[in-house]
Amino acid sequence: MANSSAAPQSAGSAVSLRFTGEAGEYFRIWIVNICLSVVTLGIYSAWAKVRRKRYFYGNTLLEDAAFEYLADPKAILKGRIIVVAAFAVYSLAGHINPLAGPLLGLVLLGVLPWLIVRALRFNAVNSAHRNVRFGFRAGYGETARLLILPVILVPLTLGVLYPYYAYRKKRFFLEHSSFGATPFAFTASAGEYYLVYLKAALMFVLFLVGSAATVGLGALPLYIWFAAYRDGAVARLTWESTRLGGLRFGCAWRTGGLFKLYFLNSLGVIFSAGLLAPWAAVRAARYQLERISLGPRGEIGAFLAAAQEERSAIGDEAGDLLGFDFGV
Amino acid sequence: MTQVRARYYDGKTSQQREVLIWAEPSGRLRVIGDGVDFSCAIAEVRPSPRVGNTRRHLRFADGSLCETEDNDAVDRIFAGLPSEAPGRLIHLWESRLGYAALALALTAAALWAGITYGIPALAKQVAFSLPPSTEKALGRDALAGLDRILLSPTQLPAARREELRALFSRLASGLEGAGDYRLELRSSKKLGANALALPSGVVVVTDQLVQLASDDNEIAAVLAHEIGHLRYRHALRRLLQDSATVLLVAAVTGDLTSIASLASALPAMLLQAKYSRDFEREADEFALDTMKRHGIPAESFAAILLRIEQRRGASADVPDYLSTHPATRERAERSRAAR
Repeated sequence: MANSSAAPQSAGSAVSLRFTGEAGEYFRIWIVNICLSVVTLGIYSAWAKVRRKRYFYGNTLLEDAAFEYLADPKAILKGRIIVVAAFAVYSLAGHINPLAGPLLGLVLLGVLPWLIVRALRFNAVNSAHRNVRFGFRAGYGETARLLILPVILVPLTLGVLYPYYAYRKKRFFLEHSSFGATPFAFTASAGEYYLVYLKAALMFVLFLVGSAATVGLGALPLYIWFAAYRDGAVARLTWESTRLGGLRFGCAWRTGGLFKLYFLNSLGVIFSAGLLAPWAAVRAARYQLERISLGPRGEIGAFLAAAQEERSAIGDEAGDLLGFDFGV
Repeated sequence: MTQVRARYYDGKTSQQREVLIWAEPSGRLRVIGDGVDFSCAIAEVRPSPRVGNTRRHLRFADGSLCETEDNDAVDRIFAGLPSEAPGRLIHLWESRLGYAALALALTAAALWAGITYGIPALAKQVAFSLPPSTEKALGRDALAGLDRILLSPTQLPAARREELRALFSRLASGLEGAGDYRLELRSSKKLGANALALPSGVVVVTDQLVQLASDDNEIAAVLAHEIGHLRYRHALRRLLQDSATVLLVAAVTGDLTSIASLASALPAMLLQAKYSRDFEREADEFALDTMKRHGIPAESFAAILLRIEQRRGASADVPDYLSTHPATRERAERSRAAR
């Protein structure tokens, strides 16, 4: 159950993540990334992505060790080329032959579960902490069955099943993830997710009523308040239901703190024509990461690594383009 | 030799060990600490690239690694390795605000050049290499969209419609792909006296324009101008240019959600998307050429242009038909010179 008032974990033995990134430093990395990506007509964007993720992973510390992003930019570039080519074929085919479009769409739907698993696995095996990589394994059939929820059942029930889908998605992600040889576990129930989303829905009604009452003036802040409430409540429930071996997680995201974060970030990015985007990204990472804790402390050094395998980045890039959001 | 403090992870468990690292004169790297003592050739160690102040990871051939905050010491140890040169260059660029400002200026300049020169040239290539059938669906959807919001059926008598269609086919005859060109007559209060060239060879002319013209030569001038747009595939090129620009801006700012709304904006875009001056000049030149071939006096072109502009001044209801066109006076002058 999301318990917003209690301390994250029995204090003393829990450790919080730390984030050491700085806005000015990241701004320079960000603008050089954009510049080289534009000048090389997008080819450098694979390297840019790796540098960006290396910066955020490398500045995330647990106890005295940083996280590391290990993906090979050349694998990402290859994945991007294949995905862009596939999309080009798909969008052109529809114009040339009216039957080709839907047919290719079906093929795309058929490979979607496979792509999702590849994307999650690529990201996991290229994330490491203390020289131990994360892992992700899931079968095609199970992934396909999960996708029936968002593709068919959630629209069919007008969203009533959405909290159930959110719950199943997190469970799917966590129960197939591992750190080294140790699998993650997920203890939340569908009922708890329904409760959280029900409260979020009430906040949404508040947003609608409030926007109407203030003739639209309050719409933006009220919407951000709703988003802050929803994100905080879902994150607390998810993290506090997550186990890794003997480790438990705590999450201290607060509605007020998230509201301030989102609100200032939006204002900053809008009024700087995007130039403050790196500042916003660093602020978000700092708030969100530093309020995640795990313990007991003694368990952190005792994980075993798993046998390693390399994966290509095709799925990862498809995930980027289609905007999957599977992460916790 | 300076010693570097680091933490050692063997890659089998997450256990952490404090170690000291230093480069030996023999070109080997020595790692000594809590139960660890080995050395290996510096050239066999793979250091992670330097990204800001983040910690460096030195990977050894056996899968173990060392993590350290001492970036400068790591740079010194591996200074001789050619494989590290590109990473050092990128880091140098990222390390000063002045260099970052240069990157910002370069990005802005590249975007500007891409949008003004690169994309139009690319759009021209693509538009002419796509099969005409590609445009069919686009044109159909665009006309359907316009019919819904802006256009209503023509009020012209059937005989007059036939005359105009015959005039149109006469002007278009002999052009490559002219078999697919067709004239659609519509009434539109909102558009007023106006003509549009859509993808796939559709020219829309409003009743209001037909009524504004003093004779058929003036209508022929407008039709020839629109056929010029068809001939050079301006509508498709404009559409490709606009989409590419949106995609480029979205890719740079990292916001791809606007793509979804792109398709639905097509009809509106075709209207607002006022053809650029270059497209207009190209269509004007084509129109004057065509008129000459058909023995239509060039002053008809100037006459209808001026009439449309006059009408535009008189009524606020008429949208900005000429806003991205070259100045009417200039176009009229050129049409007289062409006589």
